[in-house]
Amino acid sequence: MGKIVFAGAMSHVLDPDYYQRACGDEGRQKVTACMTEIAAMGERFSATRADALIVVADDHLNAFSFNAVPALCVRIGRTVARMKQDHAEAFDAVLDHMADHYPLHEDLANQILERGLDAGFDLAMSWEAPVDHAFLSPVNTMHGTRPIPPLVPIWVNCFVAPQPSPKRCFDFGRHLARVVAASPWNVGIIATGGLSHFPELSLPRVGETDTVFDRRLIHWMERGEHQPLQELTVGELHKTGEHEFLNWMVLLGAVGPARAQVRYFGELRRINLAAVEWSLP
Amino acid sequence: MSRYAVNSLLYRLKKDPEFRARFDSDARAALADADLTEAEREAFVAHDMRRINQLGGYLHLVMSIPGLAAH
Repeated sequence: MGKIVFAGAMSHVLDPDYYQRACGDEGRQKVTACMTEIAAMGERFSATRADALIVVADDHLNAFSFNAVPALCVRIGRTVARMKQDHAEAFDAVLDHMADHYPLHEDLANQILERGLDAGFDLAMSWEAPVDHAFLSPVNTMHGTRPIPPLVPIWVNCFVAPQPSPKRCFDFGRHLARVVAASPWNVGIIATGGLSHFPELSLPRVGETDTVFDRRLIHWMERGEHQPLQELTVGELHKTGEHEFLNWMVLLGAVGPARAQVRYFGELRRINLAAVEWSLP
Repeated sequence: MSRYAVNSLLYRLKKDPEFRARFDSDARAALADADLTEAEREAFVAHDMRRINQLGGYLHLVMSIPGLAAH
C-alpha cells in the first residue's frame, strides 16, 4: 500500500539575482534564507527515498498557448523538458542553468489520469508540455546535486479566468491521495507558488502584497482547519494576489487533516516568500 | 476588448522570434492582419504594456516578452 511520505509547499521564483534586481539587498537576503529552508526540506524528502515526486504548479502562459488552457492537466510520458525561452526575461531567466530533461513516473501519472477520469475529474493530459520555473526552481533547490526522483508534473490553471475553484482543487488533491494509497509507491508531493503577489494581475500593482491574507491562510494551515480554505473563492484569491494558492489547495486535499509547519515566511515588496512543510502521520 | 486576440498576440510575440523581429521593425505592418480593436492596436504600436495589461493582456506575458517586457 502506497503512502504520501513528504509534503511541502513553497514560493517558486528562487533566484537571488532576480530578487536583487527586483528588491535590492533585502530581496537577495530573504530569498537566500527561503532557499536554505527549501534545501533542508529537500534533504528530508530525499531521506524518505520516495519513488516519485508529484509537483503541483501553474503555467505562466508558457506551456499552453491560447489554443487551449486546461483547468487541471497531468503530464504523462517518460520525460519532460524544461522550457526554453530565447532572450529570457524576468522569471524565465532563472531556468537557464538547469538540466534540460527530467524523468517522469509514467505509471503513477497514468493512474492519476485514468482513475481521475473514472472518478469524475475531466483532466487534461499532455505528452509534450515543457515545465517552467514553477516546477523546476523548487525541485532543483530541494535536490541540489542529489538525484531527482521521477516527477509527476500537474498543472492548475491559476491565471486564465475562469479557473477551477479552491474546493475543486482540494477535492482533486483527495483524489491524488486515494491513487497513492492504492498504489505500491511512496510518494512526495509539493505545491508551488505564492504567497501573495501581483494582486488582480495588474501591472500598476506589481509591488503590492496582502500580508494579512497570507497570515490568515497560514493560520488555517497550521491548525489543519481546511474547511474555511475550501470556502475561499477564486475572486478572493485574485483580489489578494493569491492566485497560486490553488496549487496549495491541491496539496491540502492530498494531506488533510495534517497540520502545516512554516519553515520560512518573509515579506518583500514584490512577493511574500514562504516555505511550508506538513507533519504527516 | 478581445481577450483572445490580445493574448494570443502577446504569446506569439514571446514565442516567435521572427514575428517579434517584424514587430520591432514595423509594428503596424506586423499587426495588419490581427483582429484587434483600434485601442488595442494603438497600445501595441506604442509598446504600451501597461495599457495592454489594462485591455486584458495577461500580466505574466507583458512581463516576459524579450525586449518588450514591463517590470
